[in-house]
Amino acid sequence: MIDVENLSKTYSGFRAVQGISFHVEKGEIVGFLGPNGAGKSTTMKVLAGYLPPTDGKIKIAGHDVVTESIEVRKRIGYMPENVPLYTDMRVTEFLRFRAELKKVPRNKVKERVETVKQLCSLKDVENRIIGTLSKGYRQRVGLADAMVHDPDLLILDEPTIGLDPNQIRAVRDLIKDLGKHHTILLSTHILSEVELTCSRVLVINRGKIEASDTPANLTKLVRGGGSIILEVKAPAAEVTSKMQALPDVEDVEMILPADGDWTHAKIFAKPGVDVREKIYDVVRQNNWPLRELSRVKATLEEAFVELTQE
Amino acid sequence: MAFWTLYKREIVSYFQSAVAYVVLFGSALVQGAMFTIILSLIVESNYKEQSILQIFFTWILFWVLILVQVPLITMRTFSEEFKLGTIEMLLTAPVREWDVVLAKFFGALSFFLILWLPVVLDLTALQLFSTPPPPIYWSQIGLTALTLVLVGGFWVSLGVFTSVLTKNQIIAAVLSFAFVFAAFGLSTLRYFRHTDANLLNWISYVSTPEHLENAVKGIFDTRPIVFYVSVTFFMLMLTKSILEARRLKG
Repeated sequence: MIDVENLSKTYSGFRAVQGISFHVEKGEIVGFLGPNGAGKSTTMKVLAGYLPPTDGKIKIAGHDVVTESIEVRKRIGYMPENVPLYTDMRVTEFLRFRAELKKVPRNKVKERVETVKQLCSLKDVENRIIGTLSKGYRQRVGLADAMVHDPDLLILDEPTIGLDPNQIRAVRDLIKDLGKHHTILLSTHILSEVELTCSRVLVINRGKIEASDTPANLTKLVRGGGSIILEVKAPAAEVTSKMQALPDVEDVEMILPADGDWTHAKIFAKPGVDVREKIYDVVRQNNWPLRELSRVKATLEEAFVELTQE
Repeated sequence: MAFWTLYKREIVSYFQSAVAYVVLFGSALVQGAMFTIILSLIVESNYKEQSILQIFFTWILFWVLILVQVPLITMRTFSEEFKLGTIEMLLTAPVREWDVVLAKFFGALSFFLILWLPVVLDLTALQLFSTPPPPIYWSQIGLTALTLVLVGGFWVSLGVFTSVLTKNQIIAAVLSFAFVFAAFGLSTLRYFRHTDANLLNWISYVSTPEHLENAVKGIFDTRPIVFYVSVTFFMLMLTKSILEARRLKG
């Protein structure tokens, strides 16, 4: 559905996006993650055909975004950051205008507008002027606008920003539902949202793709896919040295404050290796009383921090 | 099709803004006052040298009114889209820049013409309620209307052009006033005594008041038509280029 080959975008000397490549298959829900200023919005604007790329080739549904811009725009629903809307129009009026503009056949306009109002729970504000609506409703009007022409691909730039937890949940469910028939590329800062909705995550930082994988696999990358918590009755220095002697252990950190003679340690292993058994062997050989041996799964948040921080 | 959708939206949005009603009210008031004053002058002094149209469309007040109307109509066309950010939403729909520019231009021009409807009503009332009714010269009326459309088109295109330059409506209005005033002001060169004959000739090509003077007398001239159509088209092309350039800049 999306084929990006070596995309670069330069704004007056500043390289916002530096030669990124990625592919999105039909039916995927892809989360676009990255710190502020990483180039997420820029990439999305280029995909939506609003900004031309400085370099690179982008195809959406087989059409080039530069040379066949109109064809591409017919097939995507783009919701820009901050959701700009005509504040003097009424909700239904606005959606009808957008449907006509996006070439929904004349006899289908009414039906499509009704459908998206239903999907985005806009029925109770359909006759209100957009300028008087709350942020949450405006966000949903933007979402309704993005999908009013039933596009193959939805590009949503931070669709849940500024919403309250209930609304976030509603939008998340809506996106999941839409994902059954549409391809979706969305950017967000809310990592739990990505874990719940996206089949794949693209992490972008300083204009480059840092990782592209499922949320589950990404968390495995983080220092061995999590750490191991060990609590034994033994001197801290001895525990540290014996653990570090293990072949697959990379680092040992103390968790302070210690409880009397007990040593509470956090052990990081190499990616993809489970060292719990070896740790247990060491504990048994030394006859240390054991109070805890457990694995902490890394969260996507940790993965995000590790991938995007220097 | 995209053009019609956008054009309809432009027209509707004029009638949703307060500025439009203020301008409409002000225009109707000034036109009515002008009409009344001219009519009473004609009646009282039994003035027969010029028709009411001739006096109306050569009076400086008429020009002052247009000079104020145009910036007020055009200032919001693009500026507001840039300010609200809706330009991004507009240009990511499957529409061409050209459609957007034309819709904004024709929307503004249509509203400009609506602003001149009161004078049509005034003339109709004069025709209906005076005995005997004054004679109607259709060629003069037609030519005057045509010239008003052409001049309006050119000046509105100047206004739309200034609106695409900035997201601040006030700056757009001031710039557009300056542009329109400059276009109008060229004609005043003919009043300088030492202007040479060549220059005078050249000025009469671009002198809007002169074109309208001829039109209300019923003199048909193709040169102004060619002039207005081409400069309007040029300004719209320029507007489209700036719109593209602003988008490319990000």
